[in-house]
Amino acid sequence: MPAHPARAANRGRRRTLAANRVSLEGWGWSGVPCTPLWELEAHAQKERPGSQPGNEGRARFGRSPAFRARALWQEMDWEQLELNPRVVAALRKADIKSIKEVLNLSGADLQRLMKLSSADAECLLKTVSHSLRRNCMLTALQLYQDKDHFASQHQKLSLGCSVLDNLLKGGIPLVGITELAGESSAGKTQISLQLCLCVQYPYKYGGLESGAVYVCTEDVFPSKRLQQLIDQQHKLRADVPPEVIQKIRFGNNIFVEHAADLDTFHNCITKRISLLLKRGMVRLVVIDSIAALFRCEFGASDSVLKARYLQMFGAQLHSLSTRFSTPVVCINQVTDAVGESEAAQCGCGSVDNKVTPALGITWANHLLMRLMVSRVSQRDQLSGAVFHHAGNMRTLRVAFAPHLPPSFCCYTVELEGVKGIK
Amino acid sequence: MQRAVGSLPLGPALRARLAAAGFQTAQELLDTGPCGLSREIGISKEEALEALQVVRQECSGDAARTAGGAGTTRKCTALELLEEEQAQGFIITFCSALDNILGGGVQLTKITEVCGAPGVGKTQLCMQLAVDVQIPECFGGVCGEAVFIDTEGSFMVDRVADIAAACVQHCQLIAETHQEEDHQKALETFSLESILSHIYYFRCRDYIELLAQVYLLPDFLSEHSKVRLVVIDGIAFPFRHDFEDLSLRTRLLNGLAQQLIIIANDHKSAVVLTNQMTTRIGQSQSTLVPALGESWGHAATVRLIFHWDKSQRLATLYKSPSQKESTIPYTITPHGFRDVQPPAVTQNTESTEMNPRKRPRREEEK
Repeated sequence: MPAHPARAANRGRRRTLAANRVSLEGWGWSGVPCTPLWELEAHAQKERPGSQPGNEGRARFGRSPAFRARALWQEMDWEQLELNPRVVAALRKADIKSIKEVLNLSGADLQRLMKLSSADAECLLKTVSHSLRRNCMLTALQLYQDKDHFASQHQKLSLGCSVLDNLLKGGIPLVGITELAGESSAGKTQISLQLCLCVQYPYKYGGLESGAVYVCTEDVFPSKRLQQLIDQQHKLRADVPPEVIQKIRFGNNIFVEHAADLDTFHNCITKRISLLLKRGMVRLVVIDSIAALFRCEFGASDSVLKARYLQMFGAQLHSLSTRFSTPVVCINQVTDAVGESEAAQCGCGSVDNKVTPALGITWANHLLMRLMVSRVSQRDQLSGAVFHHAGNMRTLRVAFAPHLPPSFCCYTVELEGVKGIK
Repeated sequence: MQRAVGSLPLGPALRARLAAAGFQTAQELLDTGPCGLSREIGISKEEALEALQVVRQECSGDAARTAGGAGTTRKCTALELLEEEQAQGFIITFCSALDNILGGGVQLTKITEVCGAPGVGKTQLCMQLAVDVQIPECFGGVCGEAVFIDTEGSFMVDRVADIAAACVQHCQLIAETHQEEDHQKALETFSLESILSHIYYFRCRDYIELLAQVYLLPDFLSEHSKVRLVVIDGIAFPFRHDFEDLSLRTRLLNGLAQQLIIIANDHKSAVVLTNQMTTRIGQSQSTLVPALGESWGHAATVRLIFHWDKSQRLATLYKSPSQKESTIPYTITPHGFRDVQPPAVTQNTESTEMNPRKRPRREEEK
């Protein structure tokens, strides 16, 4: 592959991108019609939300994110609000510039700082609040019935298998962090690879018509397996017409990032992934795995620092997911439960459960739903009906989710992908 | 009209001048008139006029309040308070054991905080309450509406619809067995659509939006006077990151608590908050405690902690001014938040295992 001048210049600086390119070379990265990541970054300054025509995926989540962020932090022109000129003058005098600054002060603070009467301060707070919130009230009925406007309440990302989708009532919710925890070789990576492909299908077939970004923190990206899955898509997705599958260039829309340490990871989620999301190029973020980042860098004594990092990452991923209504799937490792109480903390109600997901309650607090996968050992396979799957049987269990009961189903990993068993 | 000048909502500079000039009551200001006032304390006539307008407004407001008997400074005896509180009613949770330990259900005019690990059922209870608050009076409900402020994005409308449908069905069953006229009449309007259309949903993505929303709530509640429940699910999430300055956080949280107390009181509504749990590392062992620190612990009147015991969900009443501390089991079924059923009804092997230990306790409470 001939080195693009811009790419060559950037190569030394960005090791992760080099990895990105290598892993995608196998399936024609050179012929990609989309803009590579580093060029995107150069355009970041010019970035204008809502300026790209004809991108349906973007239209669905609208221009709100960037617009909102600006309103909060940027200097406000107080004249635009319905405020008494006296109050505007006082605001200027007190050097209060943004909505955030006003709301960080209580009514009494405002009175003191700006020398206003309590009625004026109250009015100021209400006006500012109103300008920030406008009429954002929705009734649950609107959410329930207006399926086009509130797609995030109704649409789910399919797993590419009707049995698994049934278990999850349609798939992965669009807003929120979904955790996929399980011991090694339980099939976590297989499920997430399949999600990376499913997201590229049209809405009609459970996809989101966009790409995926896959952040590897421990192993290298399993590109060989991905290629295998792509080749077998027509077998897995018998519900989709073959010409639709043929049209999708699966490999071109999966962006691979490698982040082995916390700083790289932080940079990755705050800058690079949000850029991809802003461009509407991806609608799925997979992190494989979140625990690996923390396993090596922290000893037992750094638990406070570790908790702070976890909280920061959790919040950032959460806000990415909310702003772009994009599912975030985090793979997590499991640890052996030391005591029963530990298992109970993390909301794993099952009695026979010997393992709990890593990272503790600090992480669990950020999750929308937690899925557990595990291999079924030979002795647990009771009936003859599933016997022919012996050795390859795994279970997918809903540990918690606001919309699902605790339940499980069995699945196998086959050449063409992950399939649930009724 | 005998209101002290210091208590009027005027600017601090103006107040100081008035005090220095020897004005003591609002009546004195009104008697002096704008010209006199501007002369005596050396302000422009416009300012004096404006100040007098404020005074007049305040005084008429006071008069109206004393006439209506519902003023903020109204005196009443403890007996009156007790009667008022008993007449107010509760929002039932559909889990009778939980209602019992709460003294009837979630109390109006009080702040109830629900703490618990992820997945234990905090959001489920919130959604259940948002439906239950709308149960018509003849079925023992408060016939209200609900405000749902969602900071985490965990509000799933399909799940609410399930809970609401189960609630409607439940009321229909009652109506069928009792065959009373007002039941039938109430049921005509009590449907899935009406329940959903009376849950007002607000999504707040960070703490600034949450604060702004809470500042706007009083006006919203005045417009929607039937709202009897304000849910904030959850209070902890926006306040647990992005804060370099913890004293700012404490200040904002205290301010928020104050606002919520005022909302609960003025609008006779229950406020339900959910909080996360966090690990407190002690000297010998670490324990799970509600997040947001000690001072936040004072914010709520009633504090419930949800936790797991093996596969059983338990609710512990941790703080309450009137009820004793106790623990009860509950479950979450497809229909919503419910009592643990005796084994004869559920054929679940797990609950059978649990029962030798659970059953005596429940019978005690009944």
